[in-house]
Amino acid sequence: MSILQVRDLATHFFTQDGVARAVDGVSFDLNHRETLAIVGESGCGKSVTALSILRLIQAETGRIVGGSIKFEGRELTTLTEEEMRGIRGHDISMIFQEPMTSLNPVLTIGTQIAENVVRHMGVSWKEALDRSQEMLELVKISDARRRLDEYPHQLSGGMRQRVMIAIALSCNPRVLIADEPTTALDVTIQAQILDLMLELKEKIDAAIIMITHDLGVVAETAQRVVVMYAGRKVEEATVEELFAVPLHPYTRGLMRAIPRLDVDAEDQGRRARLQEIPGMVPVLTQVITGCAFAPRCPFATAQCSAERPPLIESRPGHLAACWHTDKVLEAAA
Amino acid sequence: MSEKPSLEVRNLKKHFPLHGGLLQRQTGTVRAVDGVSFSIRRGETLGVVGESGCGKSTVGKTVLKLLEPTAGEILLDGVNVTDFSPGQMWSHRRQIQTVFQDPYSSMNPRMRAGDIVGEPLENFGLAHGKERDEQVAALFQRVGLRPENMRKFTHEFSGGQRQRLGIAKALSVNPEVIVADEPVSALDVSVQAQVLNLMIDLQEEYRLAYLFISHDLGVMRHISHRIAVMYLGRVVELTDKRSLFTRPLHPYTEALLSAAPVPDPTKKRAQRIILPGDVASPAKPPSGCHFHTRCPYAIAECKTIDPALLEVAPGHQVACIRRPLGGDLAPLTPTV
Repeated sequence: MSILQVRDLATHFFTQDGVARAVDGVSFDLNHRETLAIVGESGCGKSVTALSILRLIQAETGRIVGGSIKFEGRELTTLTEEEMRGIRGHDISMIFQEPMTSLNPVLTIGTQIAENVVRHMGVSWKEALDRSQEMLELVKISDARRRLDEYPHQLSGGMRQRVMIAIALSCNPRVLIADEPTTALDVTIQAQILDLMLELKEKIDAAIIMITHDLGVVAETAQRVVVMYAGRKVEEATVEELFAVPLHPYTRGLMRAIPRLDVDAEDQGRRARLQEIPGMVPVLTQVITGCAFAPRCPFATAQCSAERPPLIESRPGHLAACWHTDKVLEAAA
Repeated sequence: MSEKPSLEVRNLKKHFPLHGGLLQRQTGTVRAVDGVSFSIRRGETLGVVGESGCGKSTVGKTVLKLLEPTAGEILLDGVNVTDFSPGQMWSHRRQIQTVFQDPYSSMNPRMRAGDIVGEPLENFGLAHGKERDEQVAALFQRVGLRPENMRKFTHEFSGGQRQRLGIAKALSVNPEVIVADEPVSALDVSVQAQVLNLMIDLQEEYRLAYLFISHDLGVMRHISHRIAVMYLGRVVELTDKRSLFTRPLHPYTEALLSAAPVPDPTKKRAQRIILPGDVASPAKPPSGCHFHTRCPYAIAECKTIDPALLEVAPGHQVACIRRPLGGDLAPLTPTV
């Protein structure tokens, strides 16, 4: 059952160079208690999608120009700012990549968790602080009582991200959006945080949107994956299906471009070459008529640059926006 | 192997003083690099991997003599350059060049790309004027940039193209050794593959020795021949990449490999080693083995004995008292 429905979402930014179509007609559903990964490279629109759901796009530079976002049946795009504030941090909460810049450096950890609890749960400050301590214990911060009185600079990067998770979960959200939650962390700390998130997911009754550029993180955390390229959804499938049979040439290219740490890439004793994706991502202020990936795609034909490919369910539950999925499948075989 | 190593480092140390209090007296020392030894031959990549604060970047800066070493020796093509003054170092600078992580902040935004790449040629008096421009155009082509772009400024290039510029500049003076500090970390996967392929091609073409610093184990496994794993200023394991990935002997290496997410959902590992706690501060490293506070296999002696880097198997060095010379190389059993 889906608790969040995004339909034809379009978020544009109005820049000196023209209109940047950061999100250009994206649709997906988030099911109850599911982890959905949105994966893609810089500028593909994955973070803007997340910010759009929470209506956090700065009005001076950009706005949602089309589409609908429904949370438990309620349309979010038309809510007033005040109504939206009741949703943020309560029904839908978010954790960001860099915990140092999203925590307030002059407020104690306890204050920052408690203010969210007081705002949304209408309890006293003292009760909110008790809840804060409970939350720090939940995210496995030792000596939680003492930590409440500490400031963000006194904590390590991994601890700060635990605090962000504690704040995000403090009001029992239905949806947690995690935007590159472990990208700024070292690999052993990343393992701790991913492990914590997976464990908490079992305990809390929330669905997660995991936004990441890292296919390793996708493979280890998600049940379903949306792949984005140049503001569009190009592929969607369950995680097992996507890694086993990538149907979009971009997804396939990405998977082959990653240097693997679990296999030796050698070719007769020499280091094998990685599969490159030639060229680079398109400029989003350009109007793209056909498939945005066509100029870099080894399967592209004239049709690809002329007509935008629709999302087609060519295998059960597996959508891909490509005119030539049959050729991709053939090449994989 | 009669050939001298292109770069050799013996017991290299770089300590930074910490100052504090009213009179700014020295209150402590950060042992950023604390006794590191390795050598790199022509055509070989030595990867240095480790987490933030392990000293890997300081190793790079010290061998470039951008930082003066506190102790130890640096030999460039057999010549001990450790105590060379900047003037004496000048003639050796050509042999060792560098590629930085973020080419945007390491290039002058007001210079044209061609001038940036050609600057070392002029500095070393290798080429001027038209001859310089011809060499720069050839370098542009070699790294996959169009020579027409020589007139552009760095902000007109994408991240991947800027990294190509950085590589072209490093190559311009025909060095033997290139120190590359996280050269692909700021790049997207699709562009990262392009730059890694280019670096491998250039290495084979010019027999370059790479000191390749990265935190990314996938990149390491791809580009390195041998890998040194660092933890809090020390090398804890150094071996060829195959041994490192298939039979890691140091508990930290084992945990690091186990922690990295693998892009394959069918390989969800049954037992991942999750290290407790954070990396300790290099200003206050734990006693004995620096890793004992997080090590699942630590025994009482680990708190007091400072383990030496020993060659426990051919070409496989490890610094762990649970891996003594002639000892068993089977997996350890946790003590906690």
